[in-house]
Amino acid sequence: MRLTVDGKQIEIDADPDMPLLWALRDLAGILGPKFGCGIAACGACTVLIDGSPVRSCVLPIGGVEGEIVTIEGLARDGTLSVVQQAWLDEQVAQCGYCQAGQIMSATALLDEIENPTDEDIDNAMSGNLCRCGTYPRIRAAIKRAAATKLARA
Amino acid sequence: MASIGKITRRAFLIGATAITGGIAVGYYLYRRPYPNPLEDELAEGEATFNPYVKIAGDGAITVIAPRAEMGQGISTTLAALVAEELDVPLEAVTVEHGPASYAYYNSEMLAEGGPFPFWDESIMAETVRGAMGGVGKVLGLQGTGGSSSTRDGFDRMRQAGAAARQMLVAAAATSLGVAARDLATGDGRITHAASGRSVGYGDVAAAAAELDPPSEVVLKQRADWRILGKSQNRVDMRDKVTGAPIFGVDVVQPDMLFGTVRMSPRFWQKATRADLSKAQAMPGVVKVVPIDTTYGSGFGVIADNTWAAFRAAEAIEVEWGTAGYPADSAGMTARLKEALASPGGNSARDEGDVDTAFADAPGERLVEAEYEVPFLAHMCMEPMTATARLRDGVLDVWSPNQFPTMTRQLCADVAGIETDKVNVHTTSLGGGFGRRGEMDFSMYATALAREAGGRPVKVTWTREEDTRHDTYRPAAAGRFRARLGSDGSPEAVEMRIASPSVVAGILRRTFPSISPMGPDKSIVDGACNQPYTIPHYRVTGIEADLGVPVGFWRAVGNSFNGFFHECFMDEIAERGGTDPVELRRRLMKDYPAALAVVDKVATMSDWGSPLADGTAKGFAFTLSFGSWVGEVVQVSQSDAGLRIDKVWIAADVGTALDPGILEAQLVSGAIYGLSAAMGQEITFADGMVEQSNFHDHDAMRMHQCPAFEVAILENFHKMGGAGEIGTPPALPALANAVFALTGKRIRTLPLSKEVSFA
Amino acid sequence: MRRAILLTVTAMLLGGVAGAQEAAAPSTEAPAVDPAAGLAAWQDVYAVFSHPRCANCHVEDDHPRWSGAHYGETRIHAFNVMRGADGSGFGNPGLRCTTCHFDSNSNVLHGPPGAPGWHLAPVEMVWFGKSSPEICAQIKDPGRNGGRTISEVAEHVRDDALVGWGWAPGPGREPAPRSAEETFAALERWNAAGAPCPAE
Repeated sequence: MRLTVDGKQIEIDADPDMPLLWALRDLAGILGPKFGCGIAACGACTVLIDGSPVRSCVLPIGGVEGEIVTIEGLARDGTLSVVQQAWLDEQVAQCGYCQAGQIMSATALLDEIENPTDEDIDNAMSGNLCRCGTYPRIRAAIKRAAATKLARA
Repeated sequence: MASIGKITRRAFLIGATAITGGIAVGYYLYRRPYPNPLEDELAEGEATFNPYVKIAGDGAITVIAPRAEMGQGISTTLAALVAEELDVPLEAVTVEHGPASYAYYNSEMLAEGGPFPFWDESIMAETVRGAMGGVGKVLGLQGTGGSSSTRDGFDRMRQAGAAARQMLVAAAATSLGVAARDLATGDGRITHAASGRSVGYGDVAAAAAELDPPSEVVLKQRADWRILGKSQNRVDMRDKVTGAPIFGVDVVQPDMLFGTVRMSPRFWQKATRADLSKAQAMPGVVKVVPIDTTYGSGFGVIADNTWAAFRAAEAIEVEWGTAGYPADSAGMTARLKEALASPGGNSARDEGDVDTAFADAPGERLVEAEYEVPFLAHMCMEPMTATARLRDGVLDVWSPNQFPTMTRQLCADVAGIETDKVNVHTTSLGGGFGRRGEMDFSMYATALAREAGGRPVKVTWTREEDTRHDTYRPAAAGRFRARLGSDGSPEAVEMRIASPSVVAGILRRTFPSISPMGPDKSIVDGACNQPYTIPHYRVTGIEADLGVPVGFWRAVGNSFNGFFHECFMDEIAERGGTDPVELRRRLMKDYPAALAVVDKVATMSDWGSPLADGTAKGFAFTLSFGSWVGEVVQVSQSDAGLRIDKVWIAADVGTALDPGILEAQLVSGAIYGLSAAMGQEITFADGMVEQSNFHDHDAMRMHQCPAFEVAILENFHKMGGAGEIGTPPALPALANAVFALTGKRIRTLPLSKEVSFA
Repeated sequence: MRRAILLTVTAMLLGGVAGAQEAAAPSTEAPAVDPAAGLAAWQDVYAVFSHPRCANCHVEDDHPRWSGAHYGETRIHAFNVMRGADGSGFGNPGLRCTTCHFDSNSNVLHGPPGAPGWHLAPVEMVWFGKSSPEICAQIKDPGRNGGRTISEVAEHVRDDALVGWGWAPGPGREPAPRSAEETFAALERWNAAGAPCPAE
C-alpha cells in the first residue's frame, strides 16, 4: 500500500494489520517515532495524520488515510519548526526518547489553540509520558512557541 | 560517627569485598596505565593526545565522553571540562561516547562503597576511598552510575584538555620558533602576540601528538572558567528535537534482522514444556531459538520485522517451572517481617548505648512505627534493546548500556569468543536509571546473533517483557523506634531495615561463581549516614533474599531509606511537638552544609507561614551521593483528589559545573521519586510480576506535575553527584505533606493505597 | 482523521434532529401493559446499560472510566483523558479520543478498543453510578435520550456501531451481557409492556 509520509510517497508491502509505527520504523526506515509501550499508553510513537495526533503503535496501516507527518518532517530546509526551536531554546530534552511524541502533540495543540493555558497544556499533553520528568520545561517551551507564533502572526 | 575501631572489626562491604582478589593481584595493574584505545581507530589526518581528545588536520576536535548519556547531560558536562582547559568553545567540539575500554575506568563509582559517611574524612575513610577507587581502576570498570561521572571526570577530563593544550602549544612554539610561554590560546588557535603570527590547532596537531605528555599539567583557577559553572546548551539537544536516530532501537545495519525475546516470567526457571511450531510458522519469522543465560531462560524470535517477532513470541506455547521463592507479595512481605524480627543484622551506625537507652524508656516518650515499600520497575521510555552481529568470529554489539566493559565480557561468554573479539558500541540511552547497568539485553541479542548466520539482529523487548523482567528496586521493610527527651528531641533512635541485597543480586546474574562476603551497604544507605546528631543512634541492615532479581534503581538504597528515615523523623517531630524543620535545625547543628540547605529551602518555601485551607507542606532531607538535598512539597485537596502544587528544592553539590543541567536533574529526580510515591508498585502472584505496561504501572503525567523552584548551593568542600540526589527526599516530603494535610500517617508505599491523587 | 471526527459529530446531530421529528409520530398499536413482564425486560436492559462496557463512557463528569482485569478497581481513565472543553465528548485539542481509539479494536492485550466515532456519551445521558430507576427514567425522557422514542432508542442500540462495540470489546475485556439484537428485543418488550420503571 502507499503512504504519504513527510511529503513523500512510500510504498509499503506488509500485512494490513501491522501497526503504522513498525511500518515506518522497520520497513521505511523512518526512525523518528519511537516505540514505548505498544498500547497507546505513552505517546512516544505519536505522528500527525491530516494534522491530528495519532498513536502509530496501535494504528493498523490498512486503516491509514491521509498525510502522515512525523518528527522528521517538521523542520523545513534545516530550519526547525517553531515548536522544535522552542524545545531547543528551553533545553527541554533529557534522555530525549519521548520528545518526538511530545513535540508532535504540542504541534497539534498549537495548531488548534494559539495561546494555550496551563489547563489546555495539561489536557493535550498528559497522554505523553516522560520518565525523565521534563514536564516543567515542556510547559515552558509550549508557551514560548505560542508566543513566537503570535509575534509572527 | 563510626569509629575506626569498629570499622576494622567489620568486614568491608561486598561491593568491594567481592573483588578484593582484584586488589591483591592487581597492584601491578593499578600502576600500569591502560593504552589509549583511540590509537586503533584514528581517521586519516587525525591525532590523539590521550583517550579523551582527538584533533584532525582541519582543526576538528573530538572529545570522548565515555559515560552513558541517559539524559543526565553527562556528555555535555564532560565535554565542557575538556573544552574549558583546551581553550575552545563547547560548540567547537564534537562529542562521542567512544569504544568500550579499560582506559575509561570509573574510579569514583565505588569510592563511597565503604562504610563511611560522606563527611568522614578520617585517614581510614580516605584510605578506603582510595582503595575502592583503585578497584574501579584495576577492574577497568567503565561504568555510569552512583552519580559519579562528574566527580570522576572533574580532574581527569580537565587534565586531558590541559595536557593536549600544552602539547599543542609546545608544537606551535617549535613551528613558530618562539618560546612556549609567549604563546596564548583561544578559539582553537595559538597566537604569538608580539609578532601577530598564529597557527590553528589542526596545523600542529599531528606534531603535538608525537610529543611526550607533560609530566605536570596546570589547571585553570575557577575564576578563569569561561564554560564551567555556567549553563551550557546541551550537545545532544538538536538531535533530540529532530528525532535523530541516536538510540539503541534506532540502530540500522546492512542486512539486519529483527527480533524479540520471551523469557520465563518466573525468575530462574526454564520452560518445562514448549511448542514452538505455531510461532515458527508465522509469517515473517526466520527462527525461534532457545536462550539460556545467568539472567534467565526462554526463547528468542528472529524475524523480518519487530512486529512479526512480537506476534510470534506471543504465539509460543510454553509452560514454565514453578517459582522457588514466595509466590506472592503477601508471602514476600511475611519473609521481610520475619527477617526484621530475627536477631542480628549488620549495624552500619551504632553510637551511644541504644539498648540501655530503650531499656527504661517510659511509654509516653516512645515512638514506634513499621514501614514498608514495594518492588519498583525502572520503566525506561526505551524498552530494553540491543543489536548484535557475530560474523567471522567477531562480535559487534550496539547497546544502550551503562557498563561497556562488563557488557563486552559477558557477551563474549555468550558468543563463546574472547573479549578482544568483541566491539561494544554504546548508543544514547532512552532512559537508564540503573536498569541499563545490566547486561541481559545485550546478552540476549548476542544469543540471537549466534543463530542469525552472520547477519545483525536488532532485538527489542515488548514493554510487557521489560516490565516483567526488570532488575527491580528491592522491596524493603523497617522497624523504627525513638525515645524522646523532655524537649521533644530524640535521645535514642533505632532503625532496623530488611531488604534483599542488590549487590548479591548482581553477582548472581553476572559472576555467579563469586559469593558475596559481607553486608551490602545499600540496605541501609540513606539511613545509616545522615547528618544527624543523636546520642544513641543505631541503624541495622538485615539481608532478606526474596528470590526476585533486584538491581540499581535511581538512588538505590537511598530511594527507600530516605523515605523511612525522614518520615520517621516527621513522626518524632510531631510526637515531640516540634516543627519538622526546627527539629532538623537542632539535630543537624554539627553539619553546617546540611543546616544551610535546610534553612535555604525553608526560606524559599516560606515554611511556617499560614496556608490556605486544604493545603499543607511536608519537609524531608537526604544526603546521598555526596550531595545535601532538602525538599519541601506542598499538596492540596481538590475535587478530583490530592494535587501536588509545588516543590522547592535546595541542594548543596559542592561545585556546580552546569547549573541548568543540575536544575534539570534535581527536578527529574524529584519527579521520579514522586511518581513512585504516588502510585507505583510491582506485585507478585503465582511467582510472576502482575503489572505489565503503563496502564497498571504508570508515572507522573503533565497534569500532575507541580511547579518547581530550585536553589543550588556550593558550600561543602567536596563535589557531590547530581543524577540521583533529587529522588530520596521527594518521597518522604510528599508523604509528610499528605500527613500534614489529612492526618493520615501512611507508612506503606505507594500512597495511592490510602489516598487518591488527581 | 480530523475530517472523520467532524463527520461523526454532524451525523450525531442530524440523528438527534431526525429522532426528535419522529418522536411526534403517534403509535399505531395499543400498548399491552404487563408490568411484571415489563420489569423483567427492563432488568435485561439495565444489565447492559449499567455494564462497565457501556456505563464507563456514560458519565456525569468529564472523565471516562476504566475497569476490568488488570485495571484494578473501576477508576478514571488515565492520561487525563477528558470529555473536551467544547463539551463534544471527543476530547481536547492535542488529545482526542481518536488519538488512540480507531475504527476497530486493537488486537493487542491492553491496547485501545475501537469503533467508529469513539467518544463519550452526551453529559445528560448518565449511566455510570446511577441506579436502575434513574437510568430507566432517563431512557424514557427525550430530553435525556437524544430526543428518541423508545423504539428509536431500541433501534439505536441495535444499529449503532459504537454501541455495538459493547458486545465485542476486544481482547481481555468482558463484553456486555447477551447481544445487541437481544437488547433491542428486550427494549421492545419493555416498551410493549408500558415501559415500567422499577421502584428501586
